[in-house]
Amino acid sequence: MHRPRREPAARMSTRTSTARPTMQTAARHTAHPVAWWAWALLLATAAGRTANPWLLLLIVAVAGLVVTWCRGSEPWSGAYRVFLAIGLSAIAVRMAFYIVFGGSDGPTVLFTLPSVTLPEWAAGFRLGGNVTAEGALAALYDGLRLATLLVCVGAANALASPRRLLRSVPAALYEVSVAVVVALSVAPQLVASVGRVRRARALRGNTSRSPANLMRTIVSPVLHDALDRSLALAAAMASRGYGRATGIPAPARRATSASLLIGLLGLCAGAYALLGTTTPAPLAWTAVAVSAAVAVFGIAFASKRVPHTRYRPDRFGARDWAVVASGAAAVAGTVLSGIYEPSALWPATNPLAMPDLPMWAAGGILLATAPALLVPSARGGTP
Amino acid sequence: MPTTEVHGAAPRPPVRWKAVLSLALAAGFGLVAMSWPLLAVPGGALTETTSGPWMFALLLPLVTAVVLMQLTDGGLDARAVAMLGVLSAVVAAVRPFGAGAAGVETVFFLLILGGRVFGPGFGFILGCTGLFASALLTGGVGPWLPYQMFAAAFVALGAGLLPRTPDTKAGRVTELAVLAVYGAFSSLLYGVLLNLSFWPFAITGGNLAYVPGGGLSENLSRLLAYSLATSLGWDIGRAITTVALVLLTGPLLLRVMRRAARKANWH
Repeated sequence: MHRPRREPAARMSTRTSTARPTMQTAARHTAHPVAWWAWALLLATAAGRTANPWLLLLIVAVAGLVVTWCRGSEPWSGAYRVFLAIGLSAIAVRMAFYIVFGGSDGPTVLFTLPSVTLPEWAAGFRLGGNVTAEGALAALYDGLRLATLLVCVGAANALASPRRLLRSVPAALYEVSVAVVVALSVAPQLVASVGRVRRARALRGNTSRSPANLMRTIVSPVLHDALDRSLALAAAMASRGYGRATGIPAPARRATSASLLIGLLGLCAGAYALLGTTTPAPLAWTAVAVSAAVAVFGIAFASKRVPHTRYRPDRFGARDWAVVASGAAAVAGTVLSGIYEPSALWPATNPLAMPDLPMWAAGGILLATAPALLVPSARGGTP
Repeated sequence: MPTTEVHGAAPRPPVRWKAVLSLALAAGFGLVAMSWPLLAVPGGALTETTSGPWMFALLLPLVTAVVLMQLTDGGLDARAVAMLGVLSAVVAAVRPFGAGAAGVETVFFLLILGGRVFGPGFGFILGCTGLFASALLTGGVGPWLPYQMFAAAFVALGAGLLPRTPDTKAGRVTELAVLAVYGAFSSLLYGVLLNLSFWPFAITGGNLAYVPGGGLSENLSRLLAYSLATSLGWDIGRAITTVALVLLTGPLLLRVMRRAARKANWH
């Protein structure tokens, strides 16, 4: 009786011991943070191309599904809920704006507020007045669109690991990204430092709560400590070879500088041309696109010549491209709907009507749930 | 400048003519990126499409990267990187104190004092890295981040360009007063510019909304009404807290940071 019972238990224990490493690699092998950001921004672009409430709610649901399935249990993983709350408050603010400042009008008056017309020097418009169902619906759609954009950004924040994102910073910005890495690891030390200094202060019998005393006995030692630590860190970095002169040939440096400056100059000229009417719009857009490409080339050219090696480089694999493609499907769906059923993308609120669901866009947005299937759940099964 | 064998040259990032030129160009581009709703001429390319804000939100990080590359051309000193990291951590640590409460802004005084002590080039990088690190720590990365980074970087840069004052008692008082006035001015300007960058998104119908192709006078009065209705309280709160924090912590922070700069052989 004993043996058959023990055996499964023993097998179970070996299974868990072998399962643990695979779970860890699964957690490490969630999609590339740049892929998550591209996916979320493409979803946000799809949301920006429509005011249909069904589509917008579908996008929120898709983002929520992927987040609950794919997010890890890191501190930033709760961002989706925070952004959902911000989105709801955006709808509320948009509604309050409509009620107080007015907007589009319609025949169905819900209620009438006392109205005030401001004098001419204060913009001369009317506050309050009729609140109509059509106007409220238009404001609701508009607020929902903004909220959906925010929720998509929240999904990216919840899914993409900031530390891995930092590793994708172009090599040419190496020093700046090192500074950010230092900041991310020093910030928790600062909190610990405040606690230590406060405890030492309490042990000396100083319980004064006057701001001047707090400044002198807490803020000042913590800052001195942090800045002295930065000098020690700099010495440690220098002694390990950081900041040694790198042999980038002068022609390469000149070429980088030239392409960066030309790109910047072109961007300024293009932006200026876009503002006015003297330059034809296609020419101005081309100027902006070409100069952006020149600047990107400059950054890529400089990054190639930076002689820093990377520990375990973060590759952008086939699955990451699939995540990006699923986001692009959502945009493609809204583009197709814009061609075949444009009225469903921008539903009329006057007269009041139940909006239709555009099929192309809905299909594209449903394809954007693909990451939930492609990317293993980082929490090992139950989300 | 005292020379030491241990540290070598001063860690202050030198601002060369290329960096100055790209900073000036980037300032022009940033101004257009934020205030295009006011500047777009009726009939121009930007008024016809809704792609303007998307384009600028994508191009602003590129422009910021170009300027950062020009500023750090030839490599930042290890001391500058470490100092940037620690000060950015301080920015990231104090930023949550201002979140939620109406208009309490706890970052600007640090950027202003840091830019003042360590110079305009360092200030620009500090504005970028500080806000970026705090956004990464709090999960607040979004389309607004490039605008915030860019504007904050120029706030810190401006503080580094303020005229020098003599190291006497009167000079120190003048310095604090100048920094406080600059803090109030820059906080208000920052509020208006960030408002402007988000305005065409935030509201699309009614008396306060941006009218595409409406011209400067029409949109300016609408913008003023919108600012009055939404963010003026926040902007004034930001100006007051910045001035108060500069005056309260300025003497101590300037002393502490100058001591660190002296120890790092900064000047």
